[in-house]
Amino acid sequence: MVHILGVLLPDKQLVKFALTHFYGIGRETASRICARMQIHDTCKVRDLSANQITSITAFLSSPATAPLLQRYSLAAPDHVPPRFTDPIPSEEATPTDAPQKLSIGDRLRSIKIESELRREVRENIAHQRNIGSYVGRRHAMGLPVRGQNTQTNARTARKLNKVERYA
Amino acid sequence: MLPTLVVQSGRSAWKGPFFVAFPNLRQALDNNIPIKTQARSCTILPNFVGLKFLVHNGKDYLPVSITQDMVGHKLGEFAATRKRFTYRATKNK
Repeated sequence: MVHILGVLLPDKQLVKFALTHFYGIGRETASRICARMQIHDTCKVRDLSANQITSITAFLSSPATAPLLQRYSLAAPDHVPPRFTDPIPSEEATPTDAPQKLSIGDRLRSIKIESELRREVRENIAHQRNIGSYVGRRHAMGLPVRGQNTQTNARTARKLNKVERYA
Repeated sequence: MLPTLVVQSGRSAWKGPFFVAFPNLRQALDNNIPIKTQARSCTILPNFVGLKFLVHNGKDYLPVSITQDMVGHKLGEFAATRKRFTYRATKNK
């Protein structure tokens, strides 16, 4: 059993599914986090090393300030790949000295999870309520917001749609 | 207005927000005259702040006064079209 930021990750689950226990992380985000932490696809939670757990914790505690991705140098235009029979060179790819830039596609840095995300949802509902829009009014009445039927059903809305939403 | 609001609305960013040009905007702001309109789908622009509108709800024109927070929403969001159901006993059985 691994606790990360107060969330219990079951040992026997794959990491890419266990991470979805966090509010705000689905399968897409979970596999992206795994890719960034260099956790392989079939790794289970019990196989995680202490370093990997620490890096996941560090990343999830503040995604916005996570270190930028390393940039690796590309092959030169005249590069000839080694023949298949050649022994594998021992040197690994080394990060370039080029200044690290924030890539536009790096969406992981802008994710919000757990209480931060819940607060954002609450604030959005409170905003609608304060300006007195239709959406805010429907939330206050505990009714569906997006034109669903209300003659029957609408159970989810009755449960969740509140100005102080708990889930 | 937040730049993301246009993006989040599902409308192409190059089009910008949809709005209806009100020719009497300056005059209405100066004289505090409400603008009577049926353009419920008009996005509230930053220069509408402080104005008063009378927005059509299909039957009447409901007063809506624009505040800073409403920027980016539509005029129609503030004029409800539905009446709440109330039970009335019939007069003649």
